[in-house]
Amino acid sequence: MREDLFTFLVGGEAGHGVKKAGSLAAGIFAGMGRGVFQMDDYQSLIRGGHNFSVVSTSIDEISSHYLAIDLAVALDERSYRMHREHLAETGVMVFNTDQVKDGRGVGLPMTAEAGKYSRPDLILGVGSVAVLACALGWDREKTIQFIEGAYPGGAEDNVAYAGRIYELVEEQIKGRFELKPGERRRPMLSGNQAIGLGALAAGLDAYFAYPMTPASPLLHFLAERAEEFGITVMHPESEVAVANMAIGAAAAGARAVVGTSGGGLALMDEALSLAGMTETPLLCILGSRPGPATGVPTYTEQGDLKFALYKGHGEYPRIVASPGSIGEAGRLTAELLDLVWRFQTPAIMITEKHLAESCMTVELNLGEVPWAEATLHQDGEYLRYRDADDGVSPLLFPPSGQVIKWNSYEHDQQGITTEKAEIIARMHDKRFRKGESLVRHMKELRTVNVYGQSGPLIFTYGSSTMSVLEALRVLETDARVVQPIYLEPMPVWDLEKYLGSGPIVVEQSRAGQFANLLREKLDMEPAAVIRRYDGRPFEPAELARQIEEVI
Amino acid sequence: MADELTTAAEVTWCPGCGNFGIFNAFKKAIRQLEETGLGRDRIFMTAGIGQHAKIFDYTNISGFYGLHGRSMATAQGVKLANPDLKVIDFVGDGDAMGEGLEHLLFAAKRNADITVVMHDNGIYALTTGQRSPLSEKGYRGPSTPLGSEEEPFNPLTLLLEAGATFVARSYSGKIDHLAGMMVQAVQHPGFSFIDVLQVCVTFNNKYDLYNERVEIIDGIPDSREEAAALARKTDKLPIGIFYRTEKAPHHRALYGSHHPLKKRLSRKRRLEKIHKILRSM
Repeated sequence: MREDLFTFLVGGEAGHGVKKAGSLAAGIFAGMGRGVFQMDDYQSLIRGGHNFSVVSTSIDEISSHYLAIDLAVALDERSYRMHREHLAETGVMVFNTDQVKDGRGVGLPMTAEAGKYSRPDLILGVGSVAVLACALGWDREKTIQFIEGAYPGGAEDNVAYAGRIYELVEEQIKGRFELKPGERRRPMLSGNQAIGLGALAAGLDAYFAYPMTPASPLLHFLAERAEEFGITVMHPESEVAVANMAIGAAAAGARAVVGTSGGGLALMDEALSLAGMTETPLLCILGSRPGPATGVPTYTEQGDLKFALYKGHGEYPRIVASPGSIGEAGRLTAELLDLVWRFQTPAIMITEKHLAESCMTVELNLGEVPWAEATLHQDGEYLRYRDADDGVSPLLFPPSGQVIKWNSYEHDQQGITTEKAEIIARMHDKRFRKGESLVRHMKELRTVNVYGQSGPLIFTYGSSTMSVLEALRVLETDARVVQPIYLEPMPVWDLEKYLGSGPIVVEQSRAGQFANLLREKLDMEPAAVIRRYDGRPFEPAELARQIEEVI
Repeated sequence: MADELTTAAEVTWCPGCGNFGIFNAFKKAIRQLEETGLGRDRIFMTAGIGQHAKIFDYTNISGFYGLHGRSMATAQGVKLANPDLKVIDFVGDGDAMGEGLEHLLFAAKRNADITVVMHDNGIYALTTGQRSPLSEKGYRGPSTPLGSEEEPFNPLTLLLEAGATFVARSYSGKIDHLAGMMVQAVQHPGFSFIDVLQVCVTFNNKYDLYNERVEIIDGIPDSREEAAALARKTDKLPIGIFYRTEKAPHHRALYGSHHPLKKRLSRKRRLEKIHKILRSM
């Protein structure tokens, strides 16, 4: 187990300000220059139920939360009962004596104290921040200042309540935990925020989305910044409208991106195929959650991999990629926006709730990412679907003095509908050559991440990568972790040395979709497939044990 | 028909098809709009899928031939990206009032600044004559051999209720009238809808009925209620502008006088802003 690790958990009902409290706790650790990972477990409801936010911190890099809690604050009885078993050996439970009568740990009359203010439920969460600050040895004044700064709108009740909780808990836990400061303060970002920033850096002009967890925060993030960045953010009537509008915007010259979850992507299916046929640049961000159907909206799974790989009827070049960290999500979004504009075909970036909505400290240097540009028509007669050698027909946008025809039917070079056998085959060939050009270009890109030099071989992808890397820090054993960033086209050129190998595969899918993809594309027969499919992300200590069992 | 607004594509409408009238009226409207200073390269046409949509292949101007029912969404995307363009969407009654009804009603609701020209022949012609959302009860087609069991929509009252700010009807047999409606619809700032009574000579030939009952409205009704009453008439089929009102078009309500492409923020300015955001997080 890592020595420098510390984990804080706050649990309560929806409406208690649990997530905000988790963010403030994360802010305390990030402010110390430490590595931080925050995972919010919440239900698909607005009030009641059970929510918790768990924040793990380490002096160096950290890529997962842990469920060995050093300090837990239970705002209600359910949280107390549920999280008692997650306490580390030396862990402290701070609980609400108004709900738990014979609890073990540090009891505080949270409900009674909160009842002295106008919105007693909403302020419960902030009390947990005061408990944490106190346990870390902060004095009352510093704690109050921090909380004041966290509610710029001025929340006097929050501050007063937090101060009162601090006084009540001070004698029992002040300075209980000592955490060393880290090297430097890094930004704390969610996957959705990183994706939004990556898209903006690469030239995003228009974002279209219909609300769907876990992609909605990306819509909110961009909508809030639309005016500042001069971009268009539009929430229309359905995902069908989303995708078809984005395609129209792209045909007029706008770098358009759409975002959704599995159900919404299903509705975009025909439009993705339209983008394939009309050769319209379109980037789709998929935030995956457990399916099928409505599934479990606020939890995580990697069950949409095959779905994403085969989106859209018909044959056309497709791009599917999945980032293995929050930082990579930002960089990859920009790279994909560039790719769809270079090669005029749709791309899907798969993320999962665990990556999209968790937050971590990241180094995000977007100064290096590409600025999405297309090959533009230079002079002479314009043909939208010019049969170019590399398959990429230059683009031109109206008004231009030329006729530009985009067509969903099979078409000739001018963009007029055709049923002629020779032209059908020729246009298929043209789009196929574009796919080959894409592969040539991708050979210059980083398509696979490899961590570690020796030891057992582990294949994973997407948010499971974060879990695997953290589990290996627990195990303190050498391993080689291979994470394909691109899944279509599968970067076999960068994976040649693993062809025919028998790695351990880690993924969040009941069917083992990623393992099956490796069998199909890389002729691998996995030695073991570690799967989790209960909606919860892997817990690193538990995953470490599972890995240990199979190596 | 050979002129500079017509492509070399082979025309495959049936002889006598109402689509010819709509095509000719559109070319006429383009020329009339050019006289007002609107260059034809600022006109962008979209089309759904159906017999009507072949107008896309035949008209020599820029555009996007979209999906069945979805071209109204595509048209709105074009307009949002480049508000300088005049976007005219050609839809069928099956296309726009069946598969794509949501987009039509929402385009009206948000006053999207596009013109929707609906080729209304009351059937699905391209797929061999099945009933459309506007087919009369009792219509016998291959999917309803005993006669359609559903009542049709009234497209005009539906659009009025949805919030359309320009609602008109015309007839494919009155080319000058239709061209005039198109010009006024394109000039209207906001959502405009033209229901074009269109004859299908093969599956639903209403030439005689239309020639007998179509009559041009004098002026424009003063209220939505009056417009709706006029739209419900069946003894006569009034054509003309049923309703017109001014309201901020959607793109202006969304981003004011901004132009998303012309006033695009440079990479440098974006990165500065991003760094500032990152420092605050």
